[in-house]
Amino acid sequence: MHCRCRGARRGHWGRALVNIKAFFVATLSSALDLGIATPDDVLRHVTPDVLSTYLPRPLWARLLTAALGAPRVDAQLVVETIGVPNLCEHVPSAIVWACVAEIGQRSLTGGVPAQPISRMAAATPGPMKAAPLPVSAPPAVTAAPAVAAAPAPAVAAAPAIAAMPLVSPPPAAAAPAEIKRDTPSRGMPVATPPPAAAAPTPKPAPDGLADVVAALESDERHTTASRTRTPTGPRFRQNPTGISRLGAINTRRPQAPVSAADEPTRSGAAPTPPAGAAAKPARRGETESDEAFEIEAEGKEDWKSSLAVEDEQLVDWQASESTQTAADEYRKR
Amino acid sequence: MSDSRQAWFARMMESGLEHSIFGPSDVLAHATPDVLATHLPPELLSKVLAASLAAGAMTPERVLETVTPELLAKHLPHDVLWACIAAAAARAGVTGAGRS
Repeated sequence: MHCRCRGARRGHWGRALVNIKAFFVATLSSALDLGIATPDDVLRHVTPDVLSTYLPRPLWARLLTAALGAPRVDAQLVVETIGVPNLCEHVPSAIVWACVAEIGQRSLTGGVPAQPISRMAAATPGPMKAAPLPVSAPPAVTAAPAVAAAPAPAVAAAPAIAAMPLVSPPPAAAAPAEIKRDTPSRGMPVATPPPAAAAPTPKPAPDGLADVVAALESDERHTTASRTRTPTGPRFRQNPTGISRLGAINTRRPQAPVSAADEPTRSGAAPTPPAGAAAKPARRGETESDEAFEIEAEGKEDWKSSLAVEDEQLVDWQASESTQTAADEYRKR
Repeated sequence: MSDSRQAWFARMMESGLEHSIFGPSDVLAHATPDVLATHLPPELLSKVLAASLAAGAMTPERVLETVTPELLAKHLPHDVLWACIAAAAARAGVTGAGRS
């Protein structure tokens, strides 16, 4: 290595220039890697005007392609896309040295505590990366870029509103949870519930069983009264199928009332209803005659006599035209 | 920050020597015997002396073989190293002072 140093000293100017560029590449690369310098430091000297003058067109095409495809264009993107070797190769060494000299002077004076590229890219917000760092900026300004980037004091004065998620309920919605508390906690006053949303007032404890029953009945009445009425049947007419009319035809005609005293004489051995049948109540829609028929049928005793019909009751059947005609036909046969 | 700067200066010194931006004599022109005797630890001074005694001579190259760029950046003041680098850049003609 040392022999090469002597040889380089004897070399011509072009070789020394190549060496100084390699030295710049190593210097700038290590400075960026170690966090001594930032891409903003590089672009402060290697300005877009410098790049437009000295950068070859293919490298410009690469830079434009990367910038178009990137979500955000900043100094890091430019330096990483072009590359430090290309920068040191095409940009005049005086400009690169000015950048290195500034970094070195700042490093000696302990000026800006720069961060490595990767950490800088991860921690710095988007709009701040494009903003160039001041050369004489104190470390506090660099450590808190958000304060300097605040566009207006009003925005910074209301961080809670900006940070509030949209899906979170408004503060008023959280009030009912506090209302449910019986005792105030942490100095919060117990809020009285609104009358509309108030729960039913607790009733005094009943003393005896009668009071309990009365309370239950009153509650049942309340619930029954508050229950909505639902229609039990259709409001509109059913289809005229004629079923109801047929049913009306099948209904038994009104019969002459028979006295209880005559009945045993007519039927002869008229069965007495069983003892249980007397206690059986008449069901809805039933007549007393139906009830009597059921009672007799259940007994299965003298059912023929119970079905015996007097002649007076057959008069109507003979008077019917259809029945009469049929009877005539059968007689003819 | 101190470690990063130390590593950077070590890398610059290594790269400068590697690319012949400056040589061992240029380094010792700034890192004088007084500077070395003041800032180098005793064991390192002992090694330098032992290597020179074994070789029969003390040359800048032999000194830098013992006091590597990492040790230079570790023990010597960085402004001394930076002066070396800046002077080399001036000689290379990349600075205004070097051009003039």
